[in-house]
Amino acid sequence: MPTRDKGHQDVIRKIKSIMKTISDDVILKQIMPSFEVPKIGYDNTVWSDDKRMLTIGNKTVLIGPHSAKKIPTFSQYLVMANAIRRLLDEEMESTIRGLYYATLSTVGDEKNKQKFWNSQEDSDNAIKAIELITNVPREEFSVTSKPKGMISGPITLRVGGDLIDCNLGSRATSQLIPTNIRDLEIVDVKADLVMVVEKDTVLNNIRKSGFIQKYNAILLTGSGEPDRATRMMVKTLNEKWKKPVVIFADADPWGLGIALRYKIGSESLSYDSDRLVTPDAKVLGMMFSDIYEYNIPEVARLAATEEDVNRAHDMKKKPWLQDRKWKKELNLFLERKEKCELDAFFKHGFKYLAETYLPNKLREAGVI
Amino acid sequence: MLDNLHCLKNKATIEVINRSNGTKAGNHENIIHRNKIHYHRKAESEFFVDNSALAGFTGERILYMAVRELLENALDSCEINHVLPDIDLRLRVLDPENDLWIISCKDNGIGIPSDKLPVAVCSFLTSGKYVEKQQRGLFGVGLKMIAAFSTKDTDHPLRVWSKSIDEPEYYFDLRTDIGTNKPIVLEKRVVKDAEREIEGEFGFKVEAVLRARLSPVTRNKIYDYISQTSVVNPYAVLTFDSDEGSVTFERRTSVMPVPAKEVLPHPADMDLKTLRKAILNHVSQKTTLHGVLCNSFQKMSGEKAREIVVKAALDLRLADKYNEHELIRVVNVCKHTKFQSPNTDHLSPIGEKILTAGMTSEYAVIMNKENNQNTAPQTHLSVRLLKPSLTAYSSRTCVINNRPTVVECGIAYGGDIGSFKLFRFANKIPLLYDEGSDVAKEVISEVEINKMGISKKEVKEQFRNAETRSDRAIDYLPMHIFFHICSTKIPYKTAGKESIAAEGDLKRYMKSCLSDLYRKVSAQIRRELKIKENENKLKLYRHYIPFIVDAISESIKIDVKKLTSAFNLLAEKYIRNEMSSLPERPSENNVTSAEDISTALPTAETHERSKVNSKTISSVRHTRKTKALNTQKIRQSDIQVTLDNFKQTKAKKR
Repeated sequence: MPTRDKGHQDVIRKIKSIMKTISDDVILKQIMPSFEVPKIGYDNTVWSDDKRMLTIGNKTVLIGPHSAKKIPTFSQYLVMANAIRRLLDEEMESTIRGLYYATLSTVGDEKNKQKFWNSQEDSDNAIKAIELITNVPREEFSVTSKPKGMISGPITLRVGGDLIDCNLGSRATSQLIPTNIRDLEIVDVKADLVMVVEKDTVLNNIRKSGFIQKYNAILLTGSGEPDRATRMMVKTLNEKWKKPVVIFADADPWGLGIALRYKIGSESLSYDSDRLVTPDAKVLGMMFSDIYEYNIPEVARLAATEEDVNRAHDMKKKPWLQDRKWKKELNLFLERKEKCELDAFFKHGFKYLAETYLPNKLREAGVI
Repeated sequence: MLDNLHCLKNKATIEVINRSNGTKAGNHENIIHRNKIHYHRKAESEFFVDNSALAGFTGERILYMAVRELLENALDSCEINHVLPDIDLRLRVLDPENDLWIISCKDNGIGIPSDKLPVAVCSFLTSGKYVEKQQRGLFGVGLKMIAAFSTKDTDHPLRVWSKSIDEPEYYFDLRTDIGTNKPIVLEKRVVKDAEREIEGEFGFKVEAVLRARLSPVTRNKIYDYISQTSVVNPYAVLTFDSDEGSVTFERRTSVMPVPAKEVLPHPADMDLKTLRKAILNHVSQKTTLHGVLCNSFQKMSGEKAREIVVKAALDLRLADKYNEHELIRVVNVCKHTKFQSPNTDHLSPIGEKILTAGMTSEYAVIMNKENNQNTAPQTHLSVRLLKPSLTAYSSRTCVINNRPTVVECGIAYGGDIGSFKLFRFANKIPLLYDEGSDVAKEVISEVEINKMGISKKEVKEQFRNAETRSDRAIDYLPMHIFFHICSTKIPYKTAGKESIAAEGDLKRYMKSCLSDLYRKVSAQIRRELKIKENENKLKLYRHYIPFIVDAISESIKIDVKKLTSAFNLLAEKYIRNEMSSLPERPSENNVTSAEDISTALPTAETHERSKVNSKTISSVRHTRKTKALNTQKIRQSDIQVTLDNFKQTKAKKR
């Protein structure tokens, strides 16, 4: 019988104490139970000049069965808390989807049957709420998601008991970044530089070209929207291992948004920015101006959609995009209404991106 | 009546027969074809049989129309005499292979004198109703249509029993001579006492065999027609007997509407025909034009009549000594003269009392499908009484198309009423088809429901259900809206007389009527909505508390029963507080509330809870008993156990 994880025991204790408070409210004090949860979302996300990242504001919502609309939410949170407690008790781990399935149910009588969760989004929100109420990040609950981040380069990880050398030498493949970060440890980092790209296709191209060996770099991607493990990995490499981090994403508002997830955080996870955000990361590309400076041919450019334009207008107002360089870039985009993917450099030749564009940008930024 | 008959008898229908390429104009060869045109006179009966659609007797609808005509005639003949109607309607299959149906209708109305009866039943355009007053039937076509169709399609005679005042009961076997519009009397005899069909002092019964098909849709329309008729005629006992069973719509009030009086035409409506007819009526009395005007038109004072004669630049002679050219000047002057609005004595609106009686006890026909093992599924007919929790009534009198028109509107809300429905009536006749194009539909769309003090969002939230898919919030409310238009000239949209057009100011008056009602019920509806909201909330508690209790009890050691009952109590207490903050029901007279509103909160289901509650419930029962003694209005109530303490607080306030 293995000894029980102390962190897990803490979480279980916290959940039990919440349950106790509620039952005391109901039985002893005879008052409607409730708990206050910090509000999550754009209207409770504030920019912190100090930390140079998005942090959660001080708005809270009162969740309790006093209002008809909150009765389901209140029950959902409690059901989720209990499910997490069970998960920890059984020393299992689960994805957020797994927890969604574990708690699926229907509510109401035959005539008026409804789903307990309208969608997984509801259950994800409940997990977030438990994180906030217990003040414990979800990784501590053993709640994870499907890994999708990838890493390649001179770095050694220990996952569980296994040592993994990500510098595979063969240039053939990358290592998935495990999401159960409680079981993950960085053993050694020999690289000089960490480069984050938006998509795995671009990462594969760069790796294949021998970029890792030439510049002694670690390549990382979150495959689009990065998961928490990938963000944490980037942060650790930057802050604990003191490696400079550069980010390349597509030259469109969406890509810029993804780059900023690493650098300043996101609205939906603003409560956990301290653990996820790397403020010192440098977003180097792809700039809108690069489309024209590197002569991306017109066929490889894409027309901006209405959504893109709206997003860009929004971004122009954000406090973290107020320096002259970014304003100029966004204005250029709004003027030309053209966007471009990193893959467009392949039009100049398959090695152009890794051998010309990236080194140029890195030199400009003084990273190499 | 006979005068009218004379006028109308001279009406001939001319049919033009064109042979082959008859009168082809523009023939450039300039050959004049001397084709003969044959002029025929067609009997009224033949005309109507050939053009049966004019009277609504088309294929599928024959039986529906027959039911309509018989029921309307029966109600009319009772109301003329101001007797509470007692009507027995039967519709049964006689010979399914040949689509033969036997339909009969018996009423306790005035009957028809035996000497007039054959003509009144069989000859088209013969009616006692050609007068200026509101009646259901107007044309003298309906019953004749049944007689003619029965003659045309079957070899069965039309059987009639009639007992009018001062006469014994007579029995007739009749058929129509369609070619001449004359009745054929096969048998006429005084009914022997032992064989009497009519029990009372007078009455009328007719039985006909018709060839027709009846689809389920039309069958439902017949049921709708009868139940809706009963809504606006709650003073009538209607019994309907069919192959699917027999239903009775009981009498819910003994108040009858004030019968319509015959009135003189209004001068604004005068034309050459009405004027000449008026003069003709006075010809024997040697009256002057002035006298004729005064005696034949309403709102025509002696002074006014003189003024008109002067304005028309006519010297005073005997009325029949004017020629057409002179008379048309009188008509023209009348068109330009202002008169008082026409009076409404000839109209017979339903009235608040009667409509309310109809609305508070609305009958719905229910068809129960029974699946017997041996036979095909059989439907069995029954009725259910719907009791709303509140009703309201409003009316307007206005002039549309120069005719006085009364708009009546009623609302019944909540209680047994589960969904929205619009009821339309014209001169007390339910309109069942073409609802989409009816002015009432527009009116309901255009009057915002926030006049009731509730928002669309609230309604959709509280009454969300699986069946209703509509953008209009009103369709979600458990509410029946009734519109009754009465006038001697209803602005029907089509010849089928199934929908009313937005003629003149009609729509405006209807809208103001409905807005008025919305305002009247607003306090109540808000209250009802709040009750509904709390009901839904309690339901939510009941559905979610088990989840909460399970989550807690799995995590920490706790007595499940104790937690459940404590939580249930807490939820009830919470709702109770919400309820007690509700405004008291307004004591407005116009809003007739169906006795004590049952707040109908669902009973406790969990054992633990009922244990805790049993005390409160019994005390409520007690309160209700005392209340029943005090309140006269109380009726047998099928109220479920209602929200206990809400009532207690109410009782305390009393």
